[in-house]
Order: sequence, then C-alpha cells, then structure tokens
Amino acid sequence: MEKTILIGGEAGLGSAVTSHFIGKIFASLGYYVFNYRDYPSLIRGGHNFNILKISDKPVYSHEYKYDFILALDQKTIDIHKKDLKKGGLVFKSKEMEPKILANDVLIGLLFKHFGVNLDILFTASEKVFGKKADLIKKAIEDGYQSGSQKEPIRRGSGQEKYFISGTEGIGIGSIAAGLDVYLAYPMTPTTPLLTFFAKRQLENNILVFQPENEMAVINAALGASFAGAKAMVGTSGGGFALMTEGLSLAAMTELPLVIYLGQRPAPATGLATHTAQGDLKFALNAGHGEFLRVVLAPGDAKEAAVRTQEAFYLTNKYRIPVILLGDKHLAESNYTFDEIEKSVLTESRFILENPPQDYKSYKITENGISPRAVPGQGPIVLANSYEHNDYGHTIEDSAWAVKMQDKRFKKINYLKKEIGKLNPVSVYGRGSNLLISHGSTKGALLDALPQLKNFRFLQISYLKPFPAEMVSREIKKSKKVILVENSATGALADVIKEETGIVIKNKILKYDGRPFIPEDIIKSIKKIKR
Amino acid sequence: MKPEDFGTKETNTWCPGCPNFGILQSAKEALAELANEGKLSVKDAALVVGIGCHAKIYDYLNLNGFNGLHGRVLPVCLGIKLGNPNLTVICFGGDGDTFDEGVSHFVHACRYNANITMMVHINQVFALTTGQATALTEKGFVDGSTPLGQGEKPINSLVLALELGATFVARGYALQVPHLKELMKKAIIHKGFSYIDILQPCIVYHKHSVPYLNKNIYKIEETHDAGNFSQALEKAREWDYSYEKDTKVPIGVFYQTQRPTFESQWPQLKQPWYTVDRKINWDNIIREFK
Repeated sequence: MEKTILIGGEAGLGSAVTSHFIGKIFASLGYYVFNYRDYPSLIRGGHNFNILKISDKPVYSHEYKYDFILALDQKTIDIHKKDLKKGGLVFKSKEMEPKILANDVLIGLLFKHFGVNLDILFTASEKVFGKKADLIKKAIEDGYQSGSQKEPIRRGSGQEKYFISGTEGIGIGSIAAGLDVYLAYPMTPTTPLLTFFAKRQLENNILVFQPENEMAVINAALGASFAGAKAMVGTSGGGFALMTEGLSLAAMTELPLVIYLGQRPAPATGLATHTAQGDLKFALNAGHGEFLRVVLAPGDAKEAAVRTQEAFYLTNKYRIPVILLGDKHLAESNYTFDEIEKSVLTESRFILENPPQDYKSYKITENGISPRAVPGQGPIVLANSYEHNDYGHTIEDSAWAVKMQDKRFKKINYLKKEIGKLNPVSVYGRGSNLLISHGSTKGALLDALPQLKNFRFLQISYLKPFPAEMVSREIKKSKKVILVENSATGALADVIKEETGIVIKNKILKYDGRPFIPEDIIKSIKKIKR
Repeated sequence: MKPEDFGTKETNTWCPGCPNFGILQSAKEALAELANEGKLSVKDAALVVGIGCHAKIYDYLNLNGFNGLHGRVLPVCLGIKLGNPNLTVICFGGDGDTFDEGVSHFVHACRYNANITMMVHINQVFALTTGQATALTEKGFVDGSTPLGQGEKPINSLVLALELGATFVARGYALQVPHLKELMKKAIIHKGFSYIDILQPCIVYHKHSVPYLNKNIYKIEETHDAGNFSQALEKAREWDYSYEKDTKVPIGVFYQTQRPTFESQWPQLKQPWYTVDRKINWDNIIREFK
C-alpha cells in the first residue's frame, strides 16, 4: 500500500492540523507516514498545503503526484488537480457553518473510503482535541456517513508507529538531556520549538523565556549557564547573525551552550517559511576569533533526538558551544519510526560537587578541560570575555595569552576521539558510486536510493570537528561522487575540500526554498551520467 | 568582614585620581556592611560588568564575576537569576555601554523588574576609546568623532528608568563615598530592579564636569518623598546632564516602590538548577508521539 494525499486550503482552515491528524491515525494503524508542510508567510488567506505519504514500507519523503486531494477551498483544486494520479480522487469540503469544521468532514470521508472504523477516529479526536472534540466528532461522523467504502485497508505492517516532527525530536532530546532553561526570540522555523517547550515547561520542570532580542537571548543563556543551568537557545539565520558576538563569548568564557540553528533561505529575510541548507559555512565559521565548536546536523526526527542529547553532553563535558544545525524541512516535517531510543550518554551536569577553596575557573589541565564550579558553591567562580589567567582575572601579557589559547584548543584531540565513537557519518546502500549530503536531505536520499543502481549514500552528521578520515575513505573507494545540498553553491563540497583536499565536481543543488524529493535526485543523476 | 576583604591583588589600572576609586570603595564598604548585618551572603553574590573603564571593577572586587560584552550586562544578569534565583546579582555598566550599545536591554530590564542591582558609571564619554560622545554626553561636546560638536541633547537616564518602571531609582556621586555607599546598600536590599546613576566625571576626557558637579550637587533625602512618582520625575528633570549654565544636580533616592519580580512569574524556579536532580523517564517523554 502506498498513497499520497494532498490537503490544501487557505491559512486558518486547518490543512496542517488535518494532515497531522490523518498522519497520526495511519501511524497508529501501523503504517509509515511522511508529512510535508508548505505554507507562505501569512496568517489568514493565501494557500497552505500538506502532503502526506503513507506506506507499508518506511518512507521519509513526499512526492507531487497525488492519490487524493482533500480540498478545503476551490484554489486547492485549481492549483493541484493537474497532479492527481490516474484514478485519483478529489474530496471537496461542503459549504458549512462553522467553516472551521469542514476539514473534519473530509477526514470522515477519507477514512470511510479506507473502511477505517469510526471509533478509531473518535478516540483519536478525543486524544487530540480534548474538550472541543464533540463538535469535531459530529463533523467527522457527517463526512463518514456521506462517504462510501472503496478500498478497505488492513492494519499496516507491524506495530503502531511513533509520529514525530524534527522539532519534537529536538524537544524530547533536550528534555532527555536534562535541559533547564530554553531562551528564544520567535523566528521561523524554530518558533515551534519555543512553543513546544513553553507548553510543557511545568510538566517537565524547565523554564522558558522569550527575551527582547537575540543578543539578549544568547547573553542571558550564558548567564544561566554561568549559574549552573543547562541552557539552550533557538533561532534561524538572521537571529543567529545577531548572536554571533555571544557565540564568541561562549567560547571565551567556556560556558556550555546548545544553539539550535534552523535554516531557511537567505540572504536577509529570504523565504521566511521555506527551507534551505545555505547556512552551513555560517554555522562553521560564525563568531570573531579562533575557537572550537561542534556543529552537528541531524537528518530526521529520530536522529534529531539522539544528536540533541549528544549536543548537551558535549557542550557540558568540553565547555565549548555546540550548534545543532537544522532547517525548516526537518523542523516542520513529521516522520514515523518503530522505535525511538534514548542516547546512552550520561546526562551529568559535569559540575564539581565540592569545588576546592582554591578553585580556578580556567585551571590548565592535560586535556584542556577545566573542572567546572558554579557561583554559590563557595569558592569564587569567574567568567571572563577578556583574555584571562587560570583564575579568571583579566590579563594583557603575551605568555598568558598563548597559554590560554593553547588550553582551549587542547580539547580538540579528546573531542575528535569521542566524536569518532558517535557515528559522525552513516553509509546507506551498496554500490561503487557515492552520494554525499548532510541534514534534512537524508529523507529524500534514503527514498531515492532503492531506485538508483550502484549508489551508496554518505550522510555526514558531524560537520565540526569534521570526520575527515572517514569521509575521505568513503570518497576514495567510490567511482562517481555526487554532492547533494539544498543550497545554491554546495558548501559541503568546499568543506570537504578544505578538510580532505578532495575536490567534488558533481553537485545536485536545489535552492527554490523547497526540499528535495527522490525524483529530483534520480532525474539529476541521469543528467550527470549522460 | 572588612571592606578590604572585598579587594583583590590585581593591579588597578584606572587613571590616578579617577572617581572610579570612589565607586570601588563605596562598593567594598556597602558589601562589608551588608555582610556584617546579615543581609548579604557573600558566596551567593555575583558581579556582572560590561566593557569600558567601569568594567575593570570585575578584577578589583573579590566576588563571583562575569566580565561580559559591551552593552550586554543586563541580559547576563537576567540569565543568572533564571539559572539560580538565590544569587544576589549586582552589576555595573558604563553610560555608553548601557544607553548606547545596550539601551534595548535597559528598556526591558526596567519593565521586567528582576531582583538585580544596576549601577551605571556616568562619565559622559567613551573614555577607554579616548573620549567619544555617549548617549549621555551634553550637546555641543567636541571630541575626535564629533569635531563639529555633539549634535543631540543627552538622554536623561533617570527619567528613562522611572518611566520604564524601575522600582528603585537613585543617583549618587562617585566623590561622595559615604552617601553612595548608603545608596548601594539600599539598592542591593531592594527587591526588584534597582538602578543607580553614579556621576563619575572623567578627569581626562570630560574634565569640566568635576568643578560643575562639586559646586551644584545637593542631597534630596530631607525634602523628597521617594514614594511619590511625579515628584520623582520632577526631581529627575531638574538637571539635564548639560553644563551650559549652573543647575542644581540632585542626588539620593528618587523613587522606590514594590512590584512582583521577574523571576516570580515561574513557579518552577525555586532553586538553583544545578541542584535539581532530574529523573529522566524516556517512556514518559515519548509517549505523546504514539
């Protein structure tokens, strides 16, 4: 079984809610689902749509050919009908008051078509909509009764699936890692993480606050970190630009901080509600001065949960900033998984229990990591943006300047060793040719792979420190090497060249604000072959 | 404790005779007295500074400290309160630091009313970068970046603090240590955002303010009602930070009121986070996605 459903309508009519609801029901029936969301930057009107791909085999991407169109307005039909597959069906909402229930009628119609028991829909409505469920159930029932059963489905393969977005993956990863304080200024596509935490703050005993701007966000997060909290901030490219001064401060003060950078097309405001991977080099190089950082890019929601836990672990253990690089496609797409595992890494705070009275905030140690104490424990604890001695007092002399810069960079060898054990790269498929990518392109590449002959896919999850040897080894044993990136220039090729000396000539790039679908990759590979 | 106990062995690099020494002395005395009176736990005090001459106080006061970035003093303070509400957060800023680079943070800090104390060294120049005009420099001031004379009137920082909702607003003079010390003690004890404007004439780049302030400063305590907001505003407007003609310059506590603090809005913020022992229940965390 494999079905693709488009749900569309004006903003405010509920195409995203509808799509999520349908996806969740299919996931609960044991099907694999991928939910793609496409919307412009407006609140009411316009045209929003979602594409749901449902399959009895794992699926991580969407397509633009539909078995069903669920139209909440006429515009949806006008725009998308040309992409209806042969024999595909259009379900159109009927005129009704209140208008907002029209989507529920379509839900009823669709599931009647598949012969799904009405009770399942009712239970799901109660779970999702709570008190409002009665009206919704009535509308679903209306649709259900007016429809007809055409393609009854059985339960999908295996058990009920987890249905989860990239944002939610980062959210649960953070909670599992022991997040204490989340600070962010709203910016698409990372606002959903702000609201995810805000909604769950009491239940999970975390604190969420939206300061006046991104400079305040990162400086306040470092204040919280100084005081001993596990702190995280979230933003997109423009907000990250404002935070770069603070990123450099995090490095100099050696205060742990996780920065979630959700990319969207730029320069400047770009395409605010769409997707891109154009900030890779920005994440790798942002901030004045030379300092260590970790940049990691999860490829789907499940990986996001694990990588986020790694981010907290590394920032607290090594006292260096960690950037979690995502994008709109990862953040706002829903994926299904049979299992979601917790990382095996410790959630330790890496804070001394009883720091000695002669504690030194920047003690020079063999691995460069100074044991951490926090104010209130007893001894004086310092954080200094100016170059400092081991105690934390300001210095001007050349010997200390060198000593401290060396101390901070000494961590790299230990960090590299540790990252080597965290699966910094993954190789999928078999073949002598190689596709290389990072981040959210993983979904389309995994789904394209079975349709490609003789190709492996190398996903690079740690972009800093760069797993140069592993990447180099994979490239060297491959015939044709192709880079895939949601950008105009293919920055990862430059990064690979800088880190390994290897030049990648073939690039499949996409920079229209939309994510790759498998077909894009398959078609482009054919062109390269020719 | 003695005021000297709050000193460090670091070499002081302020200019000889700089009024900043008066601020440092006032702070040491205020801290020692508060500690002796049982009103301050020294190990739970944290100092935050920005960048500029004022910031050197980070190295001269023996407290937990965060020497941050230019203009970003207040967000760091807020963050510290969010990280550990039990810490007594005391910060110093410069007038350029606070009212140029960091003015957005000042605006919001007055609104938020976090329980922190901010003291701004008002010398009306960017001294460490050789004397350029700040947002508080008087109109007509000539320096390297304004050879034609500073074009605008200065911000009145006291009026700004009052209008935006600071719950403790005072002005002191760096050369009147006993009075400034008392202001600092009151500010630190006050529950909410305390702001002290500290006039600290720069003896190198803004010399004319020393004789002017020595002549015109007067204390308001005996006649002023610090509970009266409109009287406070009126007092704050008596002097507009300019030097054209002699105007009386009031110092003292202008206004004090009570309002719920910033940090009290989160019921979950009860103890330092580093003392929270989290029991992670993975099954609970992922349950909602099935």
